[in-house]
Amino acid sequence: MRWFGFGFNAFGQICIHEKIIKGTDAVKEIKVINPTELGHVDRSGSRQGICMQTSAVRASWSRRASLHLDGEGCVCLAGFGAVTSKECIFMAESRGCKDAFISESYLTLSFPGRVESWDLENKKETPAWSMEIKTQPESSDMPLNLPLVPGGYIATKPPFYQSLSPHLKAKSLALGAEHAVLLSATGAVYTWGLGSHGQLGHGGLTSEEQPRAVEALWGMAMSCVATGGWHSVCISDGGDLYVWGWNESGQLGLPSQALRKAQQQSGQQADVSTSPRENPQEGEDDKEVFISIQAFPALLDITPSCEIKTVSCGSRHTAVVTTTGDLYTWGWGEYGQLGHQTLSSDEPQQVEFFREQQMCVVNVVCGAWNTFAAVVKEEVANA
Amino acid sequence: MAMLWSRISAVLPPSEEKFLLQFSDKVESSVLDMLKRSRQQLYSGDATTSSHMLNAQIILDISWEKLNTGTWRDVDKEWRRVYSYGCLFKVAALCREDPSEDKIAQAIKTCDMGLLMGAAVMDNILQVLVQILQGEVRKPPKEEDETEHTNIKRIKIECPHVPVIKEEFAVPRIKCPSLESFRTNYLLPLKPVILEGIIDHWPALNDHPWSIEYLRSVAGCRTVPVEVGSRYTDEEWSQTLLTVNEFIDRYILNRDGEKGVGYLAQHQLFDQIPELKEDIRLPDYCCLGEGDEDDITVNAWFGPRGTVSPLHQDPQQNFLAQVVGSKYIRLYSPEDTEKLYPHQSKLLHNTSQVEVENPDTVQFPEFAKAPFLECVLQPGDVLFIPVQHWHYVRSLELSFSVSFWWS
Repeated sequence: MRWFGFGFNAFGQICIHEKIIKGTDAVKEIKVINPTELGHVDRSGSRQGICMQTSAVRASWSRRASLHLDGEGCVCLAGFGAVTSKECIFMAESRGCKDAFISESYLTLSFPGRVESWDLENKKETPAWSMEIKTQPESSDMPLNLPLVPGGYIATKPPFYQSLSPHLKAKSLALGAEHAVLLSATGAVYTWGLGSHGQLGHGGLTSEEQPRAVEALWGMAMSCVATGGWHSVCISDGGDLYVWGWNESGQLGLPSQALRKAQQQSGQQADVSTSPRENPQEGEDDKEVFISIQAFPALLDITPSCEIKTVSCGSRHTAVVTTTGDLYTWGWGEYGQLGHQTLSSDEPQQVEFFREQQMCVVNVVCGAWNTFAAVVKEEVANA
Repeated sequence: MAMLWSRISAVLPPSEEKFLLQFSDKVESSVLDMLKRSRQQLYSGDATTSSHMLNAQIILDISWEKLNTGTWRDVDKEWRRVYSYGCLFKVAALCREDPSEDKIAQAIKTCDMGLLMGAAVMDNILQVLVQILQGEVRKPPKEEDETEHTNIKRIKIECPHVPVIKEEFAVPRIKCPSLESFRTNYLLPLKPVILEGIIDHWPALNDHPWSIEYLRSVAGCRTVPVEVGSRYTDEEWSQTLLTVNEFIDRYILNRDGEKGVGYLAQHQLFDQIPELKEDIRLPDYCCLGEGDEDDITVNAWFGPRGTVSPLHQDPQQNFLAQVVGSKYIRLYSPEDTEKLYPHQSKLLHNTSQVEVENPDTVQFPEFAKAPFLECVLQPGDVLFIPVQHWHYVRSLELSFSVSFWWS
């Protein structure tokens, strides 16, 4: 499995370039528009040597954490604070970890029997916070992924641990800027936190202190949830994608007036030839219905022919992988995070690069303003 | 034009070392690093304009996200400061190399965005910069613009539908009362009154009469928030940012055949444009309040005929001073709140559901029983709206009012 990254690279979190280190004319280097392969690392952190497989990528605004689980688990950090001639820095403290979760200020690591949060702002010898966790007695239970831990979850800032009612049967959890989306083992979706932009999906703009089931999705089992800064998405067992929240940059894949206005102002008109939905004969006054806030989940058709396998969101963009191994992106793209030249878009568009390279996308993880995709060679996928 | 950059750099700190960037730990070190990169570029002068612009834009984009996280009043002031620095760096990038008129217009807009959304940094440097930039674009006043002139006439001639005010409902009028008599007769018993003759000395009504031409010359290129839609309770209502010139062209003179109503409403224009502040004065009666003078909120209300503020109440005492045009105003006492059917939602609970001049008597049967006062406010009039008093306002013609909220 190889990983590619594109989008915001001001801190060298995708790839290091001399210009970024020196801070000179690094415009193209800061906006990585073409998917670029992430370097392999060995334990000394240099680019050459024994390669380690990257099992997973986690990204914050300024950093990327690559999780290596072959052999003894460990994390390598790239981006802010790691900018040297080396691609990324091996974190000795992460030796033996099973999972990692990164925010702008903290790196949370889970080990068998304990979880630790390390302060990335003020590097210390010891973690900023840690907690013993009981290994689950029932071996039948699926192992939990961060930020979930048995009995609760780890928030991105102190006091870190928050408990969750066992009735929720939490299976996975996605944390937005000020809201949370939880998937239960039964396939139900719960949301709570700030609701100002419809990101909770209950139909209003009010906030919820406690997890509340998204009733509009009742009866449809979901398999995956994700959140951006102000939007939320989930995938049904059948491979359908549902979106809700703020559509300010087209991050819901629905027509966004704010985005069109911004494009008009910057003189960067949407390329008509790439947007099949629009009739070129229609002028300014076609009555397109714009969506600013979608307060209930809406079904989004990406491509009629295939199902959605996985999804991830940046602060204002969304990326999905289909069961056929294609990557589609939409929303805010000013830093190249959509992986195509048109920058921002309120319509899902395929990232052509991987198809052209005969690569099959198997996973996607978004940082705030960038996107990371895991790929395998097509033959391997079909075998 | 090369003069412009020397004027701008003259108001910046003389060296990189003197240009301080200090923030609380709310601002992560990665963001601070971006700020330092921009500062370094500002003084070293190397790298291209596009690189300067990109770094400034990164600062604006990350702080914009923080400004939109959580509710506005909970946004940490530190992030509003970061936003202002982003604006400062963007203005510097725009103006560095012999800027075109368009670049200067962008720089002015950038300053305004900082003044509207950011928090003051470096002794409010954006205010200083915008003055310099405005000096660059301000042209000598044009010869009387014929079309504009006739348009204004047309607006005035188009005889507004002035409601007949019945004497028994009329808000009482009083000429320049003493502080003591105002306090005893109106402030303490919380009774509405129109004060006459207390703003006659304002430059806005004398030396600098507020006309469209004057507003264009003082503030034409400045960006302001505009409410679009008849009333803020409507589904279609929205807010947008326009320059004063664009606002006048589109919503006052209806140049592009614009049919919607636009209203420059409830905006602290006088903090944004100090030159206009010189044209008004704080009413002396505000000193009867307990608050500090700095706590008085001064808002501008500028719009065409037909703007409507639905019946609502505010948490402070209000002096509404009419400078240009006339407005019809209806007042209800807070004692009659039950008869006014306030909205249920938290956001609008200070607003009545009733359309005052066209009430739905079936849905809101009690409304007709609520006693009220009414008036047509004319230039020079100041209406005292006591705290919590419900008020409904409709402009009868092109209108500019100034409100003072005090406690």
